[in-house]
This record gives sequence, C-alpha cells and structure tokens, in this order.
Amino acid sequence: MSANKRWDTIIVGAGHNGLVAANYLAKAGRKVLVLEARDRAGGQLELHAGGQLRPDIVRELDLTRHGLVAGTPAPYISLLPDGRRLVLSAADAAATRGSIEQFSAKDAQRWPEFVAFMDRTAAFLDAAYRTPMPRLPHVSLAEGLPLAKLAWTLRRLGGKDMFRVIRAMSMSTIEFTEEWFESEELKAAIAAVGIHGFTLGSMSAGTGYTLMHNWLNRGGLGHRTGGTAQIGDALVAALKANGGELRTSSGVQQILLHRSRATGVRLNSGEEIPASTVFSAADPRRTLLGLVGAPDLPTEFVWHVQSIKMRGSVAKVLLRTDGAHGLPAGTLVVAPTLKYLERAFDAAKYGEIAQHPYLEVTTAGDVVSIHMQSAPYKLRGADWVDARADVERIAIETLAEHLPVLKASIRDVRTITPRDLERDYALTEGDLNHGQLILDQMFFMRPLPGWSNHATPVDGLYLCGNGMHGGAGISGGPGRNAAQALLKV
Amino acid sequence: MTSSNQYDAIVIGAGHNGLIAAAYLARAGKKVAVLERRDVVGGAAVTAEPFPGYRFSQFSYVVSLLRPEIIRDLELPRHGLKILPLPSTVTPMDNGDYLAAWDDHDLTRQELYRHSPRDAEASDEYGRVMARAAKAIKPILGLVPPDPSSLSLRDMMRMLKVGQYAKSLSEKELYQIAKLLTMSAADLLNDWFEFDPLKGTKSASGIIGTFLGPSSPGTAYVLLHHYMGEIDGAFRAWGFCKNGNGGVSAAIASSAHALGVEIRTNAPVQQVIVKGGRAAGVALANGDELQAKVVISAADPKRSFLQFVEEKHLPGEFVQQIRNFRVRGSSGKVNIALSELPDFSCLPGEGPLHRGAISISPSMEYIERAYDEAKYGQFAKNPYIDMIIPSMIDRDMAPPGHHVMSCFVQYAPYDIEGGWDDAKREAFGETVISTIERYAPNIRRAIVGKQVITPKDIEAIAGITGGNIFHGELLLHQLFFLRPAPQWADFRTPLPGYYFGASGAHPGGGVMGAAGKLAAMEVLKDWK
Repeated sequence: MSANKRWDTIIVGAGHNGLVAANYLAKAGRKVLVLEARDRAGGQLELHAGGQLRPDIVRELDLTRHGLVAGTPAPYISLLPDGRRLVLSAADAAATRGSIEQFSAKDAQRWPEFVAFMDRTAAFLDAAYRTPMPRLPHVSLAEGLPLAKLAWTLRRLGGKDMFRVIRAMSMSTIEFTEEWFESEELKAAIAAVGIHGFTLGSMSAGTGYTLMHNWLNRGGLGHRTGGTAQIGDALVAALKANGGELRTSSGVQQILLHRSRATGVRLNSGEEIPASTVFSAADPRRTLLGLVGAPDLPTEFVWHVQSIKMRGSVAKVLLRTDGAHGLPAGTLVVAPTLKYLERAFDAAKYGEIAQHPYLEVTTAGDVVSIHMQSAPYKLRGADWVDARADVERIAIETLAEHLPVLKASIRDVRTITPRDLERDYALTEGDLNHGQLILDQMFFMRPLPGWSNHATPVDGLYLCGNGMHGGAGISGGPGRNAAQALLKV
Repeated sequence: MTSSNQYDAIVIGAGHNGLIAAAYLARAGKKVAVLERRDVVGGAAVTAEPFPGYRFSQFSYVVSLLRPEIIRDLELPRHGLKILPLPSTVTPMDNGDYLAAWDDHDLTRQELYRHSPRDAEASDEYGRVMARAAKAIKPILGLVPPDPSSLSLRDMMRMLKVGQYAKSLSEKELYQIAKLLTMSAADLLNDWFEFDPLKGTKSASGIIGTFLGPSSPGTAYVLLHHYMGEIDGAFRAWGFCKNGNGGVSAAIASSAHALGVEIRTNAPVQQVIVKGGRAAGVALANGDELQAKVVISAADPKRSFLQFVEEKHLPGEFVQQIRNFRVRGSSGKVNIALSELPDFSCLPGEGPLHRGAISISPSMEYIERAYDEAKYGQFAKNPYIDMIIPSMIDRDMAPPGHHVMSCFVQYAPYDIEGGWDDAKREAFGETVISTIERYAPNIRRAIVGKQVITPKDIEAIAGITGGNIFHGELLLHQLFFLRPAPQWADFRTPLPGYYFGASGAHPGGGVMGAAGKLAAMEVLKDWK
C-alpha cells in the first residue's frame, strides 16, 4: 500500500455493516479503506450462530461467489418444563400443526394465518427500512416520494392489516399474542423472539414492533442455520474484488476534523490517514462522543447523543462439547410462559442477573451457543469479574434441566459478558444493537430525531452501523442505506 | 307511547361527558334526555357521604383537565363551579426529610436546591420544555381523529387538518412530541434529574390510571397528558372543586338543566333499540321505551358496544376490536374520615403541606416495584399514594375540627389473583393505612371511618368495566385514531344513529369533557 494514496472514504469498523457499506462504495468506484481495531473482520458476527444478510445485498454484492453459504431453514423449538416440546417448523406445516395441537387445536388452526400476517408485516417493515427517513417537518420532494410510496405499501395491506400493523408496533407481545392465540406455551414462544436481544419484557410496550423486526431478520421465528460465520469472510473477499482495502489491528483513536469537516482519522498508533469522507460503523455514542468528541459538536446534540438508550443485558455462553450434547438442530428456547419472560426482564431493571433466564440456544457442530437474558451491563452491588461465573452456572443449569446429557459433554466454556462485549467488540454498554430498539429510537428517531439519514453535524462524517434506521440485526441494511445516501449526494 | 318519551337525542350515562354532550345538543335546540343508572348524576365525578358529615370525592378527586371552552360555553361558574387551588406537593422521604413543591417558585427552587443543586438548575428548563410540549400537543385534543385508511372527503379533510397542525409545529416541537409519545417516564426523567424523590413524584403522573410502570414505554405520554390541564389559564395547575368533584357534575347538570335537558336518574338502560338498521331509542331495564333520532353513549366502550347493542347489529371485526380494547383497572381509592390531621414526622404539626397533595413516591424504583407486584396479580405491598385533605381547602367537607382525606392508590389490579373479596379489600385498605403510618404515625388513631374502593368496586359503583379510571388505558395503540377502535374514532359507530362520546373515545380520560363535546358536535354535523 502506498502511504500517500488518497482515500475517498475511510470506514471505521469491519463489522457486517461497515463491510457492506464499503462494498457498495467500492463497487461505485470509490477508493475505500476499512479500518478494524481487532485482528479480524466480522465484528460481533462470530458470536451468533444464526442470522443472515438481506437477500438483495447477497445478490447485489455477489457474495455467494465469494463463499457465502445460504442458511437453511430449521425448526424453532420451545423446551417446556414438563419435557414436552413445541416445534414450529416453517418447512413442515403438518408437523407444526401437530405440535401446536398438543396445546391447543384452535391455535394450530390459526397458526398459518398468523404466519401469513407476520410475513406481510415483515414485508412492510422491510420496505420501511429501505426508505430513508426524512427530517421533519420540511420533507423534500426527494424524500417525500419514497415516503408516499411507503405509505401506499401500508395502505395496500388493506384496512384490517394496516391497523393491525400500526397497533402491533406499540403493543406488548403479551397483548399482541393474546389477540391471536390461547396457548400459553405458544404465546411465550412467540414473545421470546420479540424480546430477543433487547432489554424488554413480554409486557413492555413496543415488543410487538421488535417481534416484527426479528421476524423480518430471521424470516420467521427460528434462525436459518449455517452461513453466519462466513458472512465476514465473504464480505472481505468481495471488498477486495471490488478494489477496496481492509486493515485489521488498526484501531481508530480519533476522527480528524478541519473546520467541522471530517478530513480523515488518526489510528491508535498515531498514524494519520486523510480521506474525503469518513463512515463509522461503530455505535453512534462511541463515534460521536468517543471518536469525534463533545467539544466539536453542538451542545444540545451532545446531550441527545448522551441520552441514546444503550443498555445491553445479553450474555453469551459458548460451550465446546464432545458432540454428545443432545441438542436437536434448530433454534431452541427456554421461554415457557409470558410471565417467565417478564420476570427474566425484571431482573435487568434492578441490575440483577436473572436466576431463571430466557435462553435461546443454537448449535454449530460441537459448539453450543447460549444467548442469555437478562444479564445487565450495569450490575448493582456486584461487578462483572465475579458475576461471570454466575452467568455461566445459571445458563448451563437452566439448559441442563431440559437436556440432562449436556453437562457431561462440555469440554470448554467461554462466557462473554456485556462488559466483554463493550471491551472486545466495541459495543457501548454491551448493547448488541448499538442502541435499544425501543419506540422512541426507531425510524426517524434512530439514532436521533432529525439525524436518521446517516449524516452528522460533522460534514463528511456518516454513520452506517446498527444504531441507524433499519439497524439491529445482521441484515446489513444500514450499511447499504448509508452508502446509497452518500452516492446520491 | 306518549310524546314525552320522544326525544331528538338520548344520552346514556350522566357522567361529566354525558352531561356535557347533552348540554351542547340542548344548546343547539335539540330535545335531549340523559339516562342515568344510579340515583346520582356524575358517574365517576361524584361526592358521597359514606359517614354522616364526612363528604368525599368518591372516585376522581381533582380538576385540571376540564376544557376551558366547556367551562365558558356552559357557563359553569354561574352554575356553581368553583375551583380552589391545590398549592403544593410534599413527598415525605424515608430518611425523615421531605421534598416540597410550594406555590412559590423561589421557595420551591430553594427547597429542591437543598437536595440537588443540579436538579434545581434543570427544573425550570424542564418545566418550560414540558409546558411547551403540552401546549404544542393540545390542539390535538380538539381534533376529530381521521381514519387513515379512508379516502372519503371527510377523512381527507381531517387528515389535512392534522397535516396543517403538524406543519404549524417547529422541527424541535415535532421531535419532542414524537419522543414524548413513545418513551418511558423513567427515561425522560433520568435524562433530566438525579434526585430520587423528585423523579418518583414526577413519574407518578406517568402511571396514573395505566397498568404500566414508570419504565414502560408510553408512560411519558401519560405524564404529558397530566400536564395539559389549566385553571384560569395557568398551565399545569391542579385544583379541588368546591363540594368535591360532585360539584363539577352538579354544575354541568345545572347548566344542562337550564338549557332544557331532561335528566332521569334511576333509569338504567337495557338496550339500544334498532329499527331499520338505525338506533331509534333505548329500552330501559323497567321495560319503558324511549324514542330518539340519535343515541349517544357516554358509558365505557365495552358496555356501549358489547352490552347495550345486540351483537348482530355490529360488524364482527368491530366487536372483536372492542373485546381487545384494554381496560385493566390499576388503581384504588381509600377515603378516610379523620378526627385529627395526619401528623407527618417530616413536617410536624399543622402546616401548609396539609393544603396540598402529599405523595408517597420516594423513588421511581419504589413505583416500579409496586407495578411489578400488580402485573403478577397482587396489589402493591408498598403502593404509590396520592393524598389530599379536601376539608383543609373546603371546610364544608367534614364536621368542624374533623377532616376527610382522599388517598389515590396504585397499584391494585382489577384481575387480582383469586379475585377481589372482602378480606382482600380489607387487606388492601390496611396496606394503605400502614404505608401512610410510616410517615404519619398518628393516622391509625385518627381514623373515624374508612371507605376502601378497589377497581372491582369502581366497576360496580361507577359502572366502568374493568374499573379503569380512563375507561380504557392510555396506551399508544389506544389513542387518537385507534380509540376506541380503528376507523371508528370519530365518535360515530358502525350502527347509524348511535354515537360514542366518553373517556374511551379520543382524547381520553380525566375530568376533561372533550370527548362529550366533540361527540355532540359530530352529532350536530350529521344532523344538517
């Protein structure tokens, strides 16, 4: 690499969104450099056993050619205390029906209608995530047309679905699922997806929306399995093919400004790299307060950035086993009742680790990956050095109650606490989503009202991570949207 | 049938909204009857005398939200409405200290400064921001919600009005409103303040009448809803009605009566009579039938659509939506007759605190934990309590030297585990007394009588399904064009000639009267 090469765009962070943005810019002929603090690309992808990039991004960036494997649909299985299992499988309608019938014949009958409704809802949400959010109230024609189109998409759902969608956004999953089903087991299994990854409970307003969001990203309740691990590598391969560059072990210390315009970055090593524009795939708080710094931003804006709600409450417990863990393939959950989920969330409110947590478990070969809620970033009267062992114990015990052979199969345990997520993966307060997906932080309010179009008060600095509109999850949507926003200018 | 049983309009329910709707219709020259199930008018705004000589605002107990134009239009002061200011709020603290907000700005600031200089600095700005937001959102209270799925001219015009309103706001105001509509009271207050008793007391406005805790999204709106009141043009002022909240109802009833409205008490409605697909009158429980060109229900949505109207007259989808409407009562009331004033250890002796509100709300976490108990089906063991002593403001409320104290309590769930019974009511009352006792040790010996009202009692006495004081929770998905059901938020119903104008309609509850007035206006529009 020539030291004096002039970059069009530097991208901070080689997570999936940073890489997606970089690819689109490189494809459009921009000279792009991606800087990653860690020694490898992919960000938090390595923590997730499930999750897919949006299909149109896979297609447009030709990622299959670069080694991306499409995930395959797998069942969603709720493990119940009495040993029964509720198995919901998109691929096997008859089996799903039979499984729900164990709990309610009425619900089994209603299920296909529910899935169809959720799919239509997800399609609308998908359209919303592709539509740039305007600055209110002076919506320009360029912003207004896509918005009008989006409103039309909503209208086209028909009066009944349209209101269902609008209402469900602010409802709690308990309210939402009660309007569809009677079986507690089924309602809780659905609600679990609504709170997955968020510091919310089944009774929190707005979990109707997060349910839709996760349904969209997963393509249903369960994850497609396989492929997640290759996303990072495929994106890097594509980037190279598009002429972009990636430098790992190159943490950015500062975004450089000249007269409130971004002019490049300074690395931890002291090296300064100039560029015409800077993209940050780091979370908004870290980018704006950490990499730019409050003194260079308007006071009121700083205040708003400080109050972005980042509150991670997820811990990951990864088990390397000898293979005889006894887990079936698919997405497994410990979410027996709606109140169980709410109680697991209650703990987070008071800075405690849930003694009876909500678990979602996936397997990749010998590795069992446990997602555990709640394990809040801010613990009260304890610190994460001591609490790590508690999380490990509670997660394993809770799962082993359902799978007695599990314990004997464990060879090695790696626990990632919210503190680790912050330190090792640069996720402020351990928030996997770069900001909670709550009603006052979505659409035109994500990350901040008036700033959802990827620009910032610093000219030439754009945000492209999960903290943006359409973010939270592995869709890559914000990365693509940000690149489009720049390319349009 | 005699002509005396023929009306232009019949209003079901003589709560404040029903009376207001009737008064506006009579003012427009219509012949109107109001039918009330009970022997008193007022609905949930009534004054009762459970113990001789001690009078209580039985349910709702303060005024602030009553729309000023209604007070003007119906000349309520001439009919006896007199609002006495509630000057202060005192929050006793667990360490024996207290937090007070007096009616003097400088004193209040000094007082807060004593606890937290930072919060004292922030407080004025917070007040300005909230008042601005409340002012900005207020026009919505007077709008008829459009049906966004409709392409009719009428709805397009309404949409246009909402659009015009939105355009009148600045960018900042719009964002502020959007945030306040969606965020939690806890997030809002944590952004501004640090002092727990201050946050606890302020957050209480965000949970009153809802089945949510301060950290639940959507509670900031409920908080704002309580900021929209004004008395004599003073924003955010709360007052107490001379003779209790029954005084509000009496004034409206008197005004309605003067305008020619016939008010019949002890006249429970059995059913709305439907003829040729139109509401044509009502049948009373005693078998009498009354005819009218239109019928307006001021009862709650469940009663209005699931009880008064036979299911066959309404679309199945609509019926389902009304069934889904959330009306979970979450609050109770304990009305206490006292031989002496409660002596608060934080401010001993009789003092100015007794003339204002006294709030048991030491922190937001205290209230959140109270909510946690309620959501799992128990009443809170450490509840939020809002106390006022009306006899300090209006001496006529109690015998000389004695007092009445009204305690609004949250949370007490309607669906308590195992159901409400006398033992649980007693235990609930005892919990409230012992909570107050922690701050005012003399309370127990001062009690002459106490009336404990659970959500179940609110349902039984005031006729509000679920015992929810707003006839339906102020949840985001139950506001504006979704209240009480999508496509039917314009005070009309799927049954022609049948209208709906109570707290379960836009803009929701509190002794506000906007729904009753708006419904009457829509009735008159259709008349032409």
